[in-house]
Amino acid sequence: MIIDINFIGVIIASIMASAVPLILASCGELITERSGVLNLGVEGMMIIGAISGFALMTVTGSLIIAVFGAMLAGVLISTIFAFLTQTLITNHVATGLALTIFGIGISAMIGKNFVGIPGKEFPVLFEGLKDTMPLLGPILFGHSIVFYFAFALPFITSYFLKKTKIGLILRAVGDSPESASNQGINVRLVRYACILYGGAMSGLAGAYLSMIYTPQWIENMTGGRGWIALALVVFSTWNPIKILIGAMIFGGLTIIQFHMQAIGVRIPVQFLTALPYIVTIIVLVVISRDSRKIRLSTPSSLGKSFHKDN
Amino acid sequence: MNTNLKISNVTKIYPGCVANDNVSLEFNSGKIYALLGENGAGKSTLVKILSGVIIPDEGNIYLNENNLKLNSPLDAKKNDIGMVFQHFNLFETLSVFENLIIDSDEERESLREKIDTIMKKYNFSIDLDIPVLNLSAGQKQKVEIIRCLIRSPKVLIMDEPTSVLTEQETSELFLSLKKFSEEGILIIYITHKLKEVMQLCDEVAVMRRGKLVSVSEIKNENIESLANKMVGQNLKTIKKKKAKTSSDQLIKITNLNFTSEDPFETNLMDINFSVNRGECLGIAGISGNGQSELFQVLSGEIISEKNSIEFNKNYIGDLNPQERREYLMAFSPEDRLEQAAIPQMKIFENVALNNFKSSNFFNNGLINENKIKEHSKKIISDFNVNTDNIELKSQFLSGGNLQKLIIGRELITSPDLLICFNPTWGLDVGAINYIHETLIKINEQNKSIILISTDTDELLKLSDKISVIHKGKLSKIMNAEEVTSEKLGILMGGAN
Repeated sequence: MIIDINFIGVIIASIMASAVPLILASCGELITERSGVLNLGVEGMMIIGAISGFALMTVTGSLIIAVFGAMLAGVLISTIFAFLTQTLITNHVATGLALTIFGIGISAMIGKNFVGIPGKEFPVLFEGLKDTMPLLGPILFGHSIVFYFAFALPFITSYFLKKTKIGLILRAVGDSPESASNQGINVRLVRYACILYGGAMSGLAGAYLSMIYTPQWIENMTGGRGWIALALVVFSTWNPIKILIGAMIFGGLTIIQFHMQAIGVRIPVQFLTALPYIVTIIVLVVISRDSRKIRLSTPSSLGKSFHKDN
Repeated sequence: MNTNLKISNVTKIYPGCVANDNVSLEFNSGKIYALLGENGAGKSTLVKILSGVIIPDEGNIYLNENNLKLNSPLDAKKNDIGMVFQHFNLFETLSVFENLIIDSDEERESLREKIDTIMKKYNFSIDLDIPVLNLSAGQKQKVEIIRCLIRSPKVLIMDEPTSVLTEQETSELFLSLKKFSEEGILIIYITHKLKEVMQLCDEVAVMRRGKLVSVSEIKNENIESLANKMVGQNLKTIKKKKAKTSSDQLIKITNLNFTSEDPFETNLMDINFSVNRGECLGIAGISGNGQSELFQVLSGEIISEKNSIEFNKNYIGDLNPQERREYLMAFSPEDRLEQAAIPQMKIFENVALNNFKSSNFFNNGLINENKIKEHSKKIISDFNVNTDNIELKSQFLSGGNLQKLIIGRELITSPDLLICFNPTWGLDVGAINYIHETLIKINEQNKSIILISTDTDELLKLSDKISVIHKGKLSKIMNAEEVTSEKLGILMGGAN
C-alpha cells in the first residue's frame, strides 16, 4: 500500500486541530493555578464559551463578535467564581464544581434553540500555500487564526512566566500569598486577574469547538475536554511546553483510535476510547518524574483561600 | 541626617484582647533599640503597625515630624521603613534574585550590581541564582536584610531575628547591625531574649500585655531587672539535680536511616544512640537539620526497619505510634495545633485521641464519654491547665495551657520514655518553667526523656547527655557537664 505523504500531513494537521481546545484551556488554567487558585470549572467555562460563540455567530452573523463574545462569556462566568472564592472566601473545589454544573445546565438551556442549525465557515489563513510543500504544507498552512494562536500560546505563556515582572509576581503570589501581601502585592487583584484570564481562554477553547472544529451546537459538546485540560495542567507540572506535548499526545491518540476503529482493528472499542486518557497521563507522569522539580514548580498555595486580616 | 521615629498613642484592639494599649515611643538614629516582651505582649502587633501590615485603631506614627499613613506594606517601604520578619517573607520556590527583584523598580543589571556592592560591603556571600529553599536560615535572613538595604532604609526593624540562627550566625548578625547603626540607620530590635538585649542594644522598651511598662538605657539594667519587668513578677530559677547514674538501657537506636523524596525534608544518616533509664538525652540543632524527621521516625509516624529501634528489649522499628504507646512510649510533637491536638475538637475529645489499651475510652465501638471526661478532669487538675471547662475547643487554649494538656495526656499512662520536640516553643516564661519542672520530675521517677530542641539554654538545663544534629547526622554523645553553649553552637554550624 502506498501512503500519500500529503495524507500523513493531513492526519498530523487534524491531530493538531484536536489539540487546540486543550492547549487553550490548559494554558489559561495554568495561569490561574500558578497564582494559587484551583478552578475546577474549566469544563463549565468551556461549554459556556461554546454556546455563546455559536449563538452570537448565528444571531449577529459576525465571527469577530462571536469569538470575542465567547471569551467575554468565559470572563463573566469566571467572575462569579472569582467573587465567590476571592471576596467571599469560599472553598475553591466546591465552587469550581458548582461552576461546571452551572455551565453545563445553562448552556443546554440557551442552546435549545440552536440545535440543528448549521454553522458558518470560519476563514483560514495561507490556504494557497498548502500545496507548495509536501507533508509540511498541510501541517503549516490553511488553518484558522485561533489555531495559530493556540500553538504560540504555550511559548508565550512560558516566556511570560519566566521573563516578565508580572509573571514573577504571579508566581510569587502562588508560592506564598502571605509573603506577597506583606511585600505590598495586592494578592486578591492578581488572583482575580488570573481567574478572569483563565475564563477567557476556556471561553475561546469552547468557541473553537462550536465554531471551527465542529461548526454546530450539540448539547454537552465539550465532552470532558475541560477535565482533560485540568489533568494536563497537573500532570505537566505547571509547565506550558509539557502541556503542548500532552495535548498533542491526547489529540493524536484520539484521532488514531478513530481511524483504527474505522479500519476495524480487533481491539475492544472501550479500550481504544480510553487509550488517549491512559497514555497521556502515563507519558506526562514519566516526563515529570523529578520530585524536586515538581516541588519547585507546584504553586505551594494551590487551592488554599487567602484572607488578609487587619 | 538624623532620623526620628515617633509612635504616638497607638491602640489596636482585637476581639477579646487589647494587643496595643495606648503605646507611645520615640526612637532616634544612631542607637539600637530593643523592644522586649514575652509572646503575646504586643511587640509583633506594634512592629506590624510600623510596617503597614496592620492598621491601628487609634494613634499616629511620625517619621521626622511627618505623620505617616501606613495603610499597606507598600506605604512603609515608600517611607524608608524596612522590616525583617520573624517568619521569613520569602518565596521559597523562586530564586534569590527573583525574590529581590520582585519589589524593586530597577533594571536587572543595575540591581545585580547594587546587590553585589551590598554583599561585598557587609561580607555576605549568597548565590543569587539558586532557589531560596536551598538556603540555610541564616542565609535566608541575609536575603531579607539585603532586600531592605536595596532601598537604603532610614529605619530597619528586626522581628525576633535570632530564633533560627546559630551562635556564630547571631554574632555575625550583631556585627552587621552595629555597622548599619553607625551608618545612621535606626535599628529596632524585637526579642524576648534578655542576653541579646544586653549584648546589642543601647536602649530598651519593655512591653507586657499590650502595655508599655518601661523605657530605659541598657547601662542601667541587668538581666534580672529586665526579666522581672518583662514577666511582672520575680522568677524562681529551676535547676536540675544530677541524675543518678544508671546503666539500665531503655532504648537503643542502631544504624537508623531515612531517605526522603521531598526536597524540603532532610535525610537521616546512620543514627546511633541509646538512652538509659532516668536519663534525659538532649538533641540540639538548628531547625531544619533533620529534627522533625528524627522525631517522626522515633514516634512511628515514619516506619523504619524493625531492628533499628530496640525499646525495653523489644524491636519496635516497624510499629506505628499507637502500637508504640502500648510499649509505654509517649510523644509530644513540635506543632501543638497541627500535630499534637485537633484545634476544632473539644478538650476531652483530644484526650480521647490517645486511646491506649487500658483506657476503656471505648466499649464495643461506642464512646464512653463519662470515662473520658473523668480522665480529662484529672489531667487538667494534675497538670495545672488553666480552665475548668473540658468542653472547650482546644484552639481556645493558650499555647502554654495546650502544651500542659498534651504533656499531661501523654504522661497519665506513666510511660517509660517521653519524646518531646520543642516543648516550650513560643510559650511564656511561667509556662516554660512549669514544663521544665515537669520534665525534671519525670527523670526523678527514673523515667527517660528524649528532648529534641532548638533552644540551647533549655537543653543545657535539662539534659544529662547531649548530641547535636546537623544535616541529618548526629554528633557523638557528650555529657552535659562538659558542654558549653559555644561548643554546641560550633557543632550546630556543622564544624567538628
